[in-house]
Amino acid sequence: MRALAIVPAYNEAGNIRRVLEELRREVPGWDVCVVDDGSTDGTGSIAREQGALVLRLPFNLGIGGAVQTGYLFARQHGYDVAAQIDADGQHDPRFLAGALEIVSSGGADFVVGSRYLEAGGFRSTVVRRAGSRYLSWFLRVRCGARVTDPTSGFRVAGRRAIALFAANYPSDYPEPEAIALAIRAGLAVREIPVAMRTRQHGRSSIGAGRTLYYLIKVSLALLLLPADRRRHAEITG
Amino acid sequence: MTHPLLPLELQIVAGATLVAFFAWVVYLVRLQRLSLRESLLWLVSTGVVLVFVLYPRLLEQLARAIAVQVPSNALFALAILYLAINVLSLTIALSNALVRARRLGQECALLRAELEAVRARVDKLSPR
Repeated sequence: MRALAIVPAYNEAGNIRRVLEELRREVPGWDVCVVDDGSTDGTGSIAREQGALVLRLPFNLGIGGAVQTGYLFARQHGYDVAAQIDADGQHDPRFLAGALEIVSSGGADFVVGSRYLEAGGFRSTVVRRAGSRYLSWFLRVRCGARVTDPTSGFRVAGRRAIALFAANYPSDYPEPEAIALAIRAGLAVREIPVAMRTRQHGRSSIGAGRTLYYLIKVSLALLLLPADRRRHAEITG
Repeated sequence: MTHPLLPLELQIVAGATLVAFFAWVVYLVRLQRLSLRESLLWLVSTGVVLVFVLYPRLLEQLARAIAVQVPSNALFALAILYLAINVLSLTIALSNALVRARRLGQECALLRAELEAVRARVDKLSPR
Protein backbone atom coordinates (compact mmCIF):
# COMPACT_ATOMS: atom_id res chain seq x y z
CA MET A 1 0.00 0.00 0.00
CA ARG A 2 1.72 3.19 -1.21
CA ALA A 3 0.38 6.42 0.24
CA LEU A 4 1.09 10.00 -0.76
CA ALA A 5 0.37 13.19 1.16
CA ILE A 6 -0.33 16.10 -1.19
CA VAL A 7 0.40 19.48 0.43
CA PRO A 8 -0.67 22.38 -1.79
CA ALA A 9 1.22 25.46 -0.62
CA TYR A 10 1.09 29.09 -1.65
CA ASN A 11 3.37 31.40 0.36
CA GLU A 12 3.34 29.27 3.50
CA ALA A 13 6.99 29.71 4.47
CA GLY A 14 5.95 30.29 8.10
CA ASN A 15 3.96 27.06 8.39
CA ILE A 16 5.34 24.50 5.94
CA ARG A 17 8.27 23.28 8.08
CA ARG A 18 6.05 22.37 11.01
CA VAL A 19 3.49 20.68 8.76
CA LEU A 20 6.18 18.52 7.14
CA GLU A 21 7.78 17.64 10.49
CA GLU A 22 4.41 16.58 11.80
CA LEU A 23 3.71 14.45 8.72
CA ARG A 24 7.08 12.70 9.12
CA ARG A 25 6.31 12.00 12.76
CA GLU A 26 2.69 10.86 12.43
CA VAL A 27 2.77 8.97 9.13
CA PRO A 28 6.42 7.98 8.56
CA GLY A 29 5.55 5.47 5.83
CA TRP A 30 3.95 8.07 3.58
CA ASP A 31 5.61 9.92 0.75
CA VAL A 32 5.08 13.67 0.90
CA CYS A 33 4.67 15.87 -2.13
CA VAL A 34 4.45 19.63 -1.72
CA VAL A 35 2.83 21.44 -4.64
CA ASP A 36 4.40 24.88 -4.62
CA ASP A 37 1.75 27.00 -6.32
CA GLY A 38 4.05 29.76 -7.53
CA SER A 39 5.12 30.92 -4.05
CA THR A 40 7.37 33.96 -3.83
CA ASP A 41 8.52 33.47 -0.21
CA GLY A 42 10.72 30.42 -0.61
CA THR A 43 8.11 27.88 0.50
CA GLY A 44 9.42 25.45 -2.11
CA SER A 45 13.05 25.56 -1.00
CA ILE A 46 12.10 25.09 2.66
CA ALA A 47 10.04 22.05 1.69
CA ARG A 48 12.94 20.64 -0.32
CA GLU A 49 15.33 21.12 2.60
CA GLN A 50 12.88 19.16 4.70
CA GLY A 51 13.22 16.26 2.29
CA ALA A 52 9.80 16.57 0.66
CA LEU A 53 9.34 16.10 -3.03
CA VAL A 54 8.42 19.51 -4.46
CA LEU A 55 6.30 20.03 -7.55
CA ARG A 56 6.90 23.65 -8.45
CA LEU A 57 4.23 25.22 -10.63
CA PRO A 58 5.54 27.95 -12.95
CA PHE A 59 2.69 30.29 -12.03
CA ASN A 60 -0.10 30.46 -9.47
CA LEU A 61 -2.94 28.12 -10.46
CA GLY A 62 -5.04 28.40 -7.32
CA ILE A 63 -5.92 25.59 -4.94
CA GLY A 64 -7.80 23.49 -7.53
CA GLY A 65 -4.99 23.41 -10.06
CA ALA A 66 -2.40 22.79 -7.35
CA VAL A 67 -4.27 19.88 -5.78
CA GLN A 68 -4.85 18.36 -9.19
CA THR A 69 -1.11 18.48 -9.86
CA GLY A 70 -0.71 16.26 -6.79
CA TYR A 71 -3.35 13.83 -8.06
CA LEU A 72 -1.65 13.74 -11.48
CA PHE A 73 1.60 12.85 -9.71
CA ALA A 74 -0.17 10.17 -7.64
CA ARG A 75 -1.71 8.61 -10.74
CA GLN A 76 1.53 8.77 -12.70
CA HIS A 77 3.44 6.98 -9.95
CA GLY A 78 0.75 4.45 -9.13
CA TYR A 79 -0.08 5.45 -5.55
CA ASP A 80 -2.93 3.53 -3.92
CA VAL A 81 -3.95 6.37 -1.62
CA ALA A 82 -3.47 10.13 -1.85
CA ALA A 83 -4.37 12.60 0.91
CA GLN A 84 -4.77 16.36 0.75
CA ILE A 85 -3.33 18.25 3.71
CA ASP A 86 -3.37 22.04 3.95
CA ALA A 87 0.03 23.71 4.32
CA ASP A 88 -1.23 26.17 6.95
CA GLY A 89 -1.12 23.66 9.79
CA GLN A 90 -4.91 23.47 10.11
CA HIS A 91 -5.04 19.73 9.62
CA ASP A 92 -3.74 17.16 12.06
CA PRO A 93 -2.05 14.22 10.30
CA ARG A 94 -3.02 12.02 13.26
CA PHE A 95 -6.30 11.41 11.44
CA LEU A 96 -4.65 10.12 8.26
CA ALA A 97 -4.14 6.58 9.56
CA GLY A 98 -7.85 6.03 10.18
CA ALA A 99 -8.77 7.39 6.76
CA LEU A 100 -6.13 5.22 5.11
CA GLU A 101 -7.62 2.21 6.88
CA ILE A 102 -11.10 2.96 5.49
CA VAL A 103 -9.87 3.51 1.92
CA SER A 104 -7.52 0.52 1.83
CA SER A 105 -10.14 -1.84 3.23
CA GLY A 106 -12.53 -0.75 0.48
CA GLY A 107 -14.84 1.09 2.88
CA ALA A 108 -14.84 4.20 0.68
CA ASP A 109 -13.18 5.67 -2.41
CA PHE A 110 -13.00 9.16 -0.95
CA VAL A 111 -12.87 10.18 2.71
CA VAL A 112 -13.54 13.73 3.89
CA GLY A 113 -12.47 14.89 7.33
CA SER A 114 -15.31 16.75 9.05
CA ARG A 115 -14.84 19.13 11.98
CA TYR A 116 -18.55 18.99 12.79
CA LEU A 117 -19.01 15.27 13.46
CA GLU A 118 -17.56 15.43 16.94
CA ALA A 119 -17.13 18.19 19.46
CA GLY A 120 -13.82 19.96 19.93
CA GLY A 121 -11.24 21.75 17.87
CA PHE A 122 -11.50 24.85 15.73
CA ARG A 123 -14.90 25.26 14.11
CA SER A 124 -14.65 28.56 12.27
CA THR A 125 -16.99 31.53 12.58
CA VAL A 126 -20.78 31.43 12.89
CA VAL A 127 -21.23 32.78 9.37
CA ARG A 128 -18.99 30.15 7.86
CA ARG A 129 -20.66 27.40 9.86
CA ALA A 130 -24.02 28.51 8.46
CA GLY A 131 -22.47 28.50 4.99
CA SER A 132 -21.26 24.94 5.51
CA ARG A 133 -24.72 23.85 6.61
CA TYR A 134 -26.27 25.43 3.54
CA LEU A 135 -23.74 23.77 1.23
CA SER A 136 -24.23 20.34 2.76
CA TRP A 137 -27.99 20.75 2.36
CA PHE A 138 -27.45 21.82 -1.26
CA LEU A 139 -25.16 18.85 -1.95
CA ARG A 140 -27.72 16.46 -0.50
CA VAL A 141 -30.54 17.88 -2.63
CA ARG A 142 -28.43 18.13 -5.77
CA CYS A 143 -26.74 14.75 -5.77
CA GLY A 144 -27.60 12.91 -2.59
CA ALA A 145 -24.27 13.52 -0.88
CA ARG A 146 -24.28 13.12 2.89
CA VAL A 147 -21.53 15.35 4.18
CA THR A 148 -21.49 17.72 7.13
CA ASP A 149 -18.32 19.64 6.23
CA PRO A 150 -18.28 20.15 2.47
CA THR A 151 -15.56 22.84 2.48
CA SER A 152 -13.09 20.76 4.45
CA GLY A 153 -9.72 20.51 2.71
CA PHE A 154 -8.76 17.34 4.59
CA ARG A 155 -9.36 14.56 2.08
CA VAL A 156 -8.11 11.07 1.40
CA ALA A 157 -8.61 9.50 -2.03
CA GLY A 158 -8.35 5.89 -3.14
CA ARG A 159 -7.29 4.74 -6.60
CA ARG A 160 -10.60 5.45 -8.32
CA ALA A 161 -10.82 8.94 -6.82
CA ILE A 162 -7.20 9.64 -7.78
CA ALA A 163 -7.98 8.72 -11.40
CA LEU A 164 -11.11 10.88 -11.39
CA PHE A 165 -9.43 13.96 -9.90
CA ALA A 166 -6.32 13.62 -12.08
CA ALA A 167 -8.59 13.82 -15.12
CA ASN A 168 -11.15 16.26 -13.81
CA TYR A 169 -10.86 18.65 -10.88
CA PRO A 170 -12.77 21.93 -10.46
CA SER A 171 -10.78 25.16 -10.42
CA ASP A 172 -11.63 27.85 -7.88
CA TYR A 173 -13.28 27.00 -4.54
CA PRO A 174 -13.21 23.35 -5.61
CA GLU A 175 -13.98 21.44 -2.39
CA PRO A 176 -17.80 21.03 -2.48
CA GLU A 177 -17.77 20.53 -6.24
CA ALA A 178 -15.17 17.78 -5.96
CA ILE A 179 -17.50 15.87 -3.62
CA ALA A 180 -20.33 16.20 -6.14
CA LEU A 181 -18.07 15.02 -8.98
CA ALA A 182 -17.01 11.98 -6.95
CA ILE A 183 -20.59 11.03 -6.19
CA ARG A 184 -21.70 11.45 -9.78
CA ALA A 185 -18.83 9.24 -10.90
CA GLY A 186 -20.26 6.55 -8.63
CA LEU A 187 -17.56 6.73 -5.95
CA ALA A 188 -18.31 5.95 -2.31
CA VAL A 189 -17.76 9.11 -0.25
CA ARG A 190 -17.49 8.94 3.56
CA GLU A 191 -16.81 11.39 6.34
CA ILE A 192 -14.69 10.87 9.42
CA PRO A 193 -14.51 13.17 12.43
CA VAL A 194 -11.35 15.28 12.64
CA ALA A 195 -10.32 18.17 14.86
CA MET A 196 -8.93 21.23 13.12
CA ARG A 197 -6.74 24.05 14.41
CA THR A 198 -6.55 27.71 13.58
CA ARG A 199 -3.72 28.53 11.22
CA GLN A 200 -0.36 29.42 12.74
CA HIS A 201 0.94 32.16 10.44
CA GLY A 202 -0.58 34.38 7.76
CA ARG A 203 -4.24 34.58 6.94
CA SER A 204 -6.84 32.45 5.21
CA SER A 205 -7.31 32.96 1.50
CA ILE A 206 -11.05 33.51 1.98
CA GLY A 207 -11.88 36.71 3.87
CA ALA A 208 -15.24 37.34 5.51
CA GLY A 209 -16.47 39.57 2.68
CA ARG A 210 -15.82 36.84 0.14
CA THR A 211 -17.97 34.25 1.86
CA LEU A 212 -21.09 35.39 0.03
CA TYR A 213 -19.35 35.29 -3.35
CA TYR A 214 -18.02 31.86 -2.40
CA LEU A 215 -21.50 30.55 -1.64
CA ILE A 216 -23.02 31.92 -4.85
CA LYS A 217 -20.17 30.64 -7.01
CA VAL A 218 -20.24 27.18 -5.48
CA SER A 219 -24.05 26.96 -5.69
CA LEU A 220 -23.90 27.84 -9.39
CA ALA A 221 -21.11 25.34 -9.98
CA LEU A 222 -23.18 22.62 -8.30
CA LEU A 223 -26.27 23.56 -10.30
CA LEU A 224 -24.39 23.53 -13.57
CA LEU A 225 -22.46 20.31 -12.95
CA PRO A 226 -21.71 18.54 -16.21
CA ALA A 227 -24.75 16.42 -16.90
CA ASP A 228 -22.91 13.57 -18.56
CA ARG A 229 -22.43 10.78 -16.06
CA ARG A 230 -20.93 8.41 -18.60
CA ARG A 231 -17.93 10.62 -19.26
CA HIS A 232 -16.94 10.41 -15.60
CA ALA A 233 -17.64 6.69 -15.54
CA GLU A 234 -15.22 6.17 -18.44
CA ILE A 235 -12.52 8.11 -16.68
CA THR A 236 -12.75 6.09 -13.51
CA GLY A 237 -13.56 2.73 -15.14
CA MET B 1 -27.99 53.37 -55.97
CA THR B 2 -28.05 56.53 -53.82
CA HIS B 3 -30.75 56.60 -51.23
CA PRO B 4 -32.19 59.25 -48.86
CA LEU B 5 -31.12 57.08 -45.92
CA LEU B 6 -27.47 57.19 -46.88
CA PRO B 7 -25.92 60.11 -48.84
CA LEU B 8 -23.26 59.11 -51.34
CA GLU B 9 -20.44 60.77 -49.36
CA LEU B 10 -21.33 58.86 -46.23
CA GLN B 11 -21.67 55.68 -48.24
CA ILE B 12 -18.15 56.12 -49.62
CA VAL B 13 -16.62 56.89 -46.21
CA ALA B 14 -18.42 53.95 -44.54
CA GLY B 15 -17.56 51.59 -47.38
CA ALA B 16 -13.91 52.61 -47.34
CA THR B 17 -13.72 52.18 -43.56
CA LEU B 18 -15.20 48.70 -43.75
CA VAL B 19 -12.94 47.68 -46.63
CA ALA B 20 -9.94 48.96 -44.67
CA PHE B 21 -11.07 47.00 -41.59
CA PHE B 22 -11.58 43.88 -43.68
CA ALA B 23 -8.14 44.30 -45.22
CA TRP B 24 -6.60 44.76 -41.77
CA VAL B 25 -8.11 41.48 -40.54
CA VAL B 26 -6.92 39.66 -43.68
CA TYR B 27 -3.47 41.18 -43.18
CA LEU B 28 -3.37 39.95 -39.56
CA VAL B 29 -4.34 36.46 -40.69
CA ARG B 30 -1.68 36.44 -43.41
CA LEU B 31 0.97 37.52 -40.90
CA GLN B 32 -0.34 34.74 -38.61
CA ARG B 33 -1.01 37.18 -35.81
CA LEU B 34 -4.68 36.15 -35.89
CA SER B 35 -5.81 32.62 -36.60
CA LEU B 36 -8.21 32.14 -39.49
CA ARG B 37 -10.64 30.43 -37.12
CA GLU B 38 -10.84 33.44 -34.78
CA SER B 39 -11.00 35.85 -37.71
CA LEU B 40 -14.03 34.31 -39.40
CA LEU B 41 -16.63 36.06 -37.25
CA TRP B 42 -14.98 39.43 -37.88
CA LEU B 43 -14.73 38.84 -41.63
CA VAL B 44 -18.34 37.68 -41.91
CA SER B 45 -19.75 40.52 -39.80
CA THR B 46 -17.72 43.14 -41.71
CA GLY B 47 -18.89 41.66 -45.00
CA VAL B 48 -22.54 41.77 -43.93
CA VAL B 49 -22.32 45.43 -42.89
CA LEU B 50 -20.58 46.21 -46.18
CA VAL B 51 -23.54 44.71 -48.06
CA PHE B 52 -25.90 46.99 -46.10
CA VAL B 53 -23.76 50.02 -46.95
CA LEU B 54 -23.85 49.16 -50.65
CA TYR B 55 -27.60 48.41 -50.64
CA PRO B 56 -29.23 50.55 -47.91
CA ARG B 57 -32.65 49.46 -49.15
CA LEU B 58 -31.92 46.02 -47.71
CA LEU B 59 -31.63 47.58 -44.27
CA GLU B 60 -35.00 49.23 -44.67
CA GLN B 61 -36.59 45.94 -45.62
CA LEU B 62 -34.89 44.19 -42.72
CA ALA B 63 -36.09 46.85 -40.27
CA ARG B 64 -39.62 46.49 -41.56
CA ALA B 65 -39.40 42.69 -41.29
CA ILE B 66 -38.53 42.85 -37.59
CA ALA B 67 -40.92 45.76 -36.95
CA VAL B 68 -38.32 48.40 -36.11
CA GLN B 69 -39.55 51.86 -37.16
CA VAL B 70 -36.22 53.61 -37.75
CA PRO B 71 -33.85 51.53 -39.93
CA SER B 72 -30.76 52.90 -38.20
CA ASN B 73 -32.04 51.52 -34.90
CA ALA B 74 -32.26 48.08 -36.45
CA LEU B 75 -28.65 48.55 -37.50
CA PHE B 76 -27.59 49.53 -33.96
CA ALA B 77 -29.39 46.54 -32.48
CA LEU B 78 -27.78 44.17 -34.94
CA ALA B 79 -24.37 45.75 -34.42
CA ILE B 80 -24.63 45.26 -30.66
CA LEU B 81 -25.68 41.66 -31.19
CA TYR B 82 -22.70 41.09 -33.48
CA LEU B 83 -20.34 42.53 -30.91
CA ALA B 84 -21.86 40.43 -28.16
CA ILE B 85 -21.41 37.28 -30.23
CA ASN B 86 -17.84 38.24 -31.04
CA VAL B 87 -17.04 38.89 -27.39
CA LEU B 88 -18.63 35.60 -26.32
CA SER B 89 -16.60 33.68 -28.87
CA LEU B 90 -13.54 35.45 -27.52
CA THR B 91 -14.40 34.44 -23.97
CA ILE B 92 -14.82 30.85 -25.10
CA ALA B 93 -11.41 30.94 -26.75
CA LEU B 94 -9.96 32.44 -23.57
CA SER B 95 -11.51 29.71 -21.38
CA ASN B 96 -10.00 27.07 -23.63
CA ALA B 97 -6.63 28.76 -23.48
CA LEU B 98 -6.82 28.92 -19.66
CA VAL B 99 -7.60 25.22 -19.36
CA ARG B 100 -4.64 24.46 -21.58
CA ALA B 101 -2.35 26.84 -19.67
CA ARG B 102 -3.34 25.12 -16.42
CA ARG B 103 -2.55 21.68 -17.81
CA LEU B 104 0.73 22.94 -19.26
CA GLY B 105 1.77 24.38 -15.90
CA GLN B 106 0.98 21.08 -14.18
CA GLU B 107 2.82 19.10 -16.83
CA CYS B 108 5.77 21.46 -16.39
CA ALA B 109 5.85 20.89 -12.62
CA LEU B 110 5.70 17.10 -13.03
CA LEU B 111 8.44 17.09 -15.68
CA ARG B 112 10.67 19.34 -13.58
CA ALA B 113 10.37 16.92 -10.64
CA GLU B 114 11.11 13.97 -12.91
CA LEU B 115 14.10 15.74 -14.43
CA GLU B 116 15.51 16.42 -10.97
CA ALA B 117 15.03 12.77 -9.97
CA VAL B 118 16.71 11.50 -13.14
CA ARG B 119 19.55 14.00 -12.75
CA ALA B 120 20.12 12.91 -9.16
CA ARG B 121 20.29 9.28 -10.27
CA VAL B 122 22.70 10.06 -13.10
CA ASP B 123 24.92 12.05 -10.75
CA LYS B 124 25.03 9.10 -8.39
CA LEU B 125 26.10 6.77 -11.21
CA SER B 126 28.82 9.02 -12.57
CA PRO B 127 29.83 11.70 -10.08
CA ARG B 128 31.16 14.78 -11.78
